[in-house]
Amino acid sequence: MNRHLKTKLVLFCIIISSLIGFAILFPRLTMPFGFSYIVFLMTRPLTILLTTGPVKQRLFYFSILILGLSFALFPIFAAFYNIDTDFSRLTEQLPELEKKLQDKFFVFKVYVFERFGYRLNIDPVTFIIKKVETSGIFLLAKIPEFLSSFFEWLLLVPMFLYFFFFQSQKFGANFLRAIPNSIFEKAYVLFSQFNLKFGEYIIAKFIEATILGTFVTIGLLFLDYPYPFILGFVAGVTNILPYIGPVIGVVPALIVGLISNDPNISLFGMAMVFLVANLVDMVLVFPLLVSKVVNLNPMVVVMSVIVGGQLGGVVGMIVIIPFIAFFKLLFQEIYKDLSVQI
Amino acid sequence: MSYEKEIMDKIQNGEVVPDRLDLPVLKYLWEASPLYFGKKENYHEFFKKISVLSSFSDNEIRIFTKFLHRREFIANEVIFKQGDSGYGFYFIYEGSVDIFANHLNANPDDKGEFIIRLDRRQYFGEMGLLEDFNRRSATVVAHENTVLLGIFKPDLENMLEIYPVIGAKFLRETALIMANRMGQLTKEIMALKRKLKEVEQRI
Repeated sequence: MNRHLKTKLVLFCIIISSLIGFAILFPRLTMPFGFSYIVFLMTRPLTILLTTGPVKQRLFYFSILILGLSFALFPIFAAFYNIDTDFSRLTEQLPELEKKLQDKFFVFKVYVFERFGYRLNIDPVTFIIKKVETSGIFLLAKIPEFLSSFFEWLLLVPMFLYFFFFQSQKFGANFLRAIPNSIFEKAYVLFSQFNLKFGEYIIAKFIEATILGTFVTIGLLFLDYPYPFILGFVAGVTNILPYIGPVIGVVPALIVGLISNDPNISLFGMAMVFLVANLVDMVLVFPLLVSKVVNLNPMVVVMSVIVGGQLGGVVGMIVIIPFIAFFKLLFQEIYKDLSVQI
Repeated sequence: MSYEKEIMDKIQNGEVVPDRLDLPVLKYLWEASPLYFGKKENYHEFFKKISVLSSFSDNEIRIFTKFLHRREFIANEVIFKQGDSGYGFYFIYEGSVDIFANHLNANPDDKGEFIIRLDRRQYFGEMGLLEDFNRRSATVVAHENTVLLGIFKPDLENMLEIYPVIGAKFLRETALIMANRMGQLTKEIMALKRKLKEVEQRI
């Protein structure tokens, strides 16, 4: 390789390292940038569908923006009006909830003692309640910080989205010119594949969550279970996390069932609704929508989710799967090249 | 078919046409005119003279050029090697390239046997665009400082998604190139077989 090509390669490596360094050093910019990128990828199929027809891209961008802002602002206004009353209601209800949970646990303790002769000397209920109280206070203290970053996002996300919609093509073309010729074809194809997989995965998970959430909501409505919409929504959202999500999703419904005074509530029915919903998801929705996109071994998926959770919390758990799918592609490509050279 | 004719056809068929001046198109047409001596690359004139895209209208060439990547190579720089994974189809915009084949894997400096030199407006690498696991069948090296315009698999997929008619047209033309090359290969094989028979008879 001659000097000119070596210089180009070194320059490119410096650009990439600087970009990664910038991303790590300034998470307040990186996070909204990443979020905007995900939204851009998610809306891309719709953009292509709408903008190739008579509807203009700019009109589509502003519609997305108005829709997104309405979704983002609604909970904030709702929270401003209700946060005091909700918190005081929660603190009022906490002793009652604690008593109910203590009673249930006492019944369970007696059952264990009568059945197995073993005395349970633990008090998980007080521990949980204390945890909830401290977390609530902690969350309240965090509200100003959360609000400031929220308004920062409100400013940054539309800006980044505008960039992705209208300027990314030109910027991308200039960036691609900086890639050295020796690695250009592979880098470009792999980057495009990653974009495609990432976008498809996010859309597939979104559709999967919507289907599961709707299924659970309808099931709970039929059972006359309390809060069917909220519980369905929670089940849908938590389902975004692979394998662990369905287990987390059932917990709020279980708590609602345990503390409710309504004698007609069927915990068994609720469990069946969640079981059937998750079975439909596992047997039909996931294989048809998601696994085709990622094409990974279930064992690899579980391990990736755990590693993702450790590295980047909930966001890490969601985002790690397309990254692993991308690395699989990358290794396949390297392996193919090595096998030819050998 | 020219852009003007396309608009006239749309008006006659009662289809929706832009009710105001489309500035990017006007700008493009101005830059594409032979009277324009601007500094910008004039891809339009270049592609108009390429036989593969002869069926493309002015507007289709304008859209097609949006999907291209300009790559600059210095003299003797390897564009791709025989056996590499191939994803792109290149048009020679400036300069010329040499094609080599049958190189030895053991020697990285060995380019192989010289096959042919391709000049401006010629093209190569079309198999990489169509095949799923394409391996380059020859090594291509820039003979002098060369500018290539490349289109790659993701670009073709994007084009098919956004402009299916242009994408399909381009695919048809690429398939025609392949068919022509296959025809040439068949002829060469026939000639070789004939020569082999002659040699066998002499022996």
